[in-house]
Amino acid sequence: MSHDSHHAPVACKTELAPERSDLGLIRPDRTTGLIDWLTTVDHKKIGILYGAFAMFYFLVGGVEALAIRTQLARPDNDFVTARMYNQLFTMHGTTMIFLGVMPLSAAFFNFLVPLQIGARDVAFPRLNAFSLWTFVFGAFVLNASWFFEFAHLAGWFNSFEWHKALVYTDFAPANGWFSYAPLSGTFGQNGQALRFTGVGTDFWIIGIQVLGIASLAASFNFICTIINMRAKGMTMMRLPVFTWMTLVTAVLIILAFPAITVALIELMFDRTFGANFFNPSAGGQPVLWQHLFWIFGHPEVYILVLPAMGIVSEVLPTFSGKSLFGYPIIVFSGAVIGFLGFAVWSHHMFTTGLGPVPTAAFSLLTMAIAVPTGVKIFNWLGTIWGGRIRFTPPMVLALGFIWMFMCGGFSGVMHSAAPADSQQQDSYFVIAHFHYVLLGGVLLGLMAGLYFWFPKIFGRMPNAPIAYIASGLVILGFNVAFGPMHYLGLAGQPRRTHTYHAGNGWEQWNYVATIGAYILGIGVALAFVNLVWTAFRGKKCSNDPWDGRTLEWSLPSPVPEYNFAQAPIVATRDAFFEDKHGSKRIGSEPDGGEAGVHMPSQSWMPLVASAGFLFIGFGMPMMAMHVPHAGWLVIGGLGVLFLGIWLWALEGPGGYMLKTPAASGTPVPTETAAH
Amino acid sequence: MSDTAAAHEAPTSTGIDHKKLIMWLFLASDCMFFGTLISTHLLYRKLFPAGFTDAEGHQRFIQNLFNIELTSFSTFILLMSSFLMALAVSAMHKGQIKSFRRNVLGVIFFGLIFLGCQVYEFTHFYHEGLTIQNSVLGSTFYVLTGTHGTHVAIGVLWLIMMYFYSFTGKLGGHMGALDVEIAGLYWHFVDIVWIIIFTAVYLVEYLGPNGIWGTGLPAVAK
Repeated sequence: MSHDSHHAPVACKTELAPERSDLGLIRPDRTTGLIDWLTTVDHKKIGILYGAFAMFYFLVGGVEALAIRTQLARPDNDFVTARMYNQLFTMHGTTMIFLGVMPLSAAFFNFLVPLQIGARDVAFPRLNAFSLWTFVFGAFVLNASWFFEFAHLAGWFNSFEWHKALVYTDFAPANGWFSYAPLSGTFGQNGQALRFTGVGTDFWIIGIQVLGIASLAASFNFICTIINMRAKGMTMMRLPVFTWMTLVTAVLIILAFPAITVALIELMFDRTFGANFFNPSAGGQPVLWQHLFWIFGHPEVYILVLPAMGIVSEVLPTFSGKSLFGYPIIVFSGAVIGFLGFAVWSHHMFTTGLGPVPTAAFSLLTMAIAVPTGVKIFNWLGTIWGGRIRFTPPMVLALGFIWMFMCGGFSGVMHSAAPADSQQQDSYFVIAHFHYVLLGGVLLGLMAGLYFWFPKIFGRMPNAPIAYIASGLVILGFNVAFGPMHYLGLAGQPRRTHTYHAGNGWEQWNYVATIGAYILGIGVALAFVNLVWTAFRGKKCSNDPWDGRTLEWSLPSPVPEYNFAQAPIVATRDAFFEDKHGSKRIGSEPDGGEAGVHMPSQSWMPLVASAGFLFIGFGMPMMAMHVPHAGWLVIGGLGVLFLGIWLWALEGPGGYMLKTPAASGTPVPTETAAH
Repeated sequence: MSDTAAAHEAPTSTGIDHKKLIMWLFLASDCMFFGTLISTHLLYRKLFPAGFTDAEGHQRFIQNLFNIELTSFSTFILLMSSFLMALAVSAMHKGQIKSFRRNVLGVIFFGLIFLGCQVYEFTHFYHEGLTIQNSVLGSTFYVLTGTHGTHVAIGVLWLIMMYFYSFTGKLGGHMGALDVEIAGLYWHFVDIVWIIIFTAVYLVEYLGPNGIWGTGLPAVAK
């Protein structure tokens, strides 16, 4: 019934009569408020939600990190117990990787990719919402384990019979972020499934599983969007580098995540149903877990870093006033990094005794992967060489990225030498290395991206002096915190150990590292406060405050829901910059005229389907704990998931026609649209 | 209906529909998924070629458990279901909805036969003493073939829904044919994976000195 009435274009969807889906249910149609945010299919709003959740979890992970550093500030400290310390470093790593960096990268994918390729949305808007909410529920399940831990510490469980039978009471995950078997697995014959660790591991297993589904769904969507929804003239070799790196990252995700999915299923079967995949008493090989984990885990490192490299490749040319030096080589290097990323996983396992041939092969391949990375560094240097550099906050952070990431890369090459690595394994040297890569590299890159695109996302400019101070504090605090760890590691301090005795010569630098961690924490908190303030109260700015190069800067800020009133036709790389300063203009396709722009309808179904994971997420750990009838919770969760997908399929895509300024006959020049 | 839906589909950069592209991407990912499971099984077969010990403490070989005739039959049935699926897709492209329904019912029926064989096989093996808990072999075998069975079950469910949906009149035109074709892609993929599993898990057990065609083992249980 609704189809005809929805062919008439409107200026705002609230002008429409309530739209009914193919099932006869009324579709949500708010433009603001809670219902809008829960049912939105707009890639920009989904991006903002990803970013908000990611920043929240960055703070959670940061608090966990500060607790770790507080414990290690002095020798023989008792700020937290050993058991709590295990949970802290496990959740710190898991939170930062899966709930901080990946979703913040996803926030940029969501917000930017359609804008950069000249599209109106992603290929599957409702699937995009599903990815978001699945991530949110997965993150919630993972962190809900903390509430059980605190309830246990407060003694709330003491009256329960089953609680007395618990041997291992770590309710939050406590295996380290890679959950090595057999510690994470089981022992004993014939399905006894005796455990080394508590229910936290089960929360970890199901939490990562759900987050994996979110990442996979999002990656399918983004590959499809980038390959299939490019504007006319936007050939693959004209794509902005950030979009290219998104594509490589998404390909890595769809090929790497299945390995961890299977490993998690196997571990879940071990713990919940008494299988023997990693059970050493029954012949299971714990080293298989290491292989499966790192076949995922090493590409994961590039999944984390490539988006940040993409951001830096956008920031540096903009503030150097030059086009990116060696664009094809940068793109090609990114693809080679992605490809080689699958061939180096065993360098995490040099001390497991692989034998001389595989060890030598993985050493060589690991050294080889430094080559495309080095190529990128030189291309970035070539980009700023001879440019008219503007030291804006994003530029400062991007330059910090190059410098810090390079330091992390150098210690990475040291690890590739197997004999050296076997000395450094499990020491603070490794901690120093990957924090230089992930914090000095990824976090600085993502912060550069936040400061760079915030004016586009919210149409408001972050306060520059505070941004400089925050960036300075982050770079300073980071080096003070992690620089000394190189020394501590080579001096023998082991990682994942809750304390150390005095007299090893580690006291001084541990104290320094803790001071650095607090400086870093203040810097990140200041930057986030600055950004959140900007989102609501910041000074309004023009549509193109940085003299940007790519298509998103040609749009009004904030970007209207239909993105492009008229679909652009691009003739060159850096299309918008050429349009402003060069000879090649951005063309535009004839729009639908009075017909307006087709917009997708909002939907409750992605949220409903994702909510199933909430029940599964709590049911599976309870099943592993032998809570009676917990299996029904899992079955109910699967039921909700299937119901959501079923209604989603049957409600039909819907959609309505929206009048754009151009279509309604009053073209608005992009330069003045925001004022 | 179908015309308006087609009108809303903007032409894509590659000319491939979004839905078809995303299904190919999913299948690429699923290749890695099954690849990991099959590797796990083969690794452990190489490490522990001796099979498993049943509840009475007897050493058992997996070849004694297999009923290769039955599994060959269910493999053949699954292959033929792919043939019917191809006919269903072709019928849909020609707009022959009745032919589509007949063929898709055949696919569903054959899929259910395959699942029935698997249920029988699992029960039989379980009573013979191979459980998920008593050996690594049991764990890898049941989880690998069970995961494949789950894929088949999801496919059957999908096709049943499609069958009933076709009576609403909404499954038609270019988009309807595309939806059926995508279900077909999934079905053929699951079928191909079974061919690999049948080879890697069942057939190779009959090669070499440990196989029943070689030396040593009796052809029947115990």
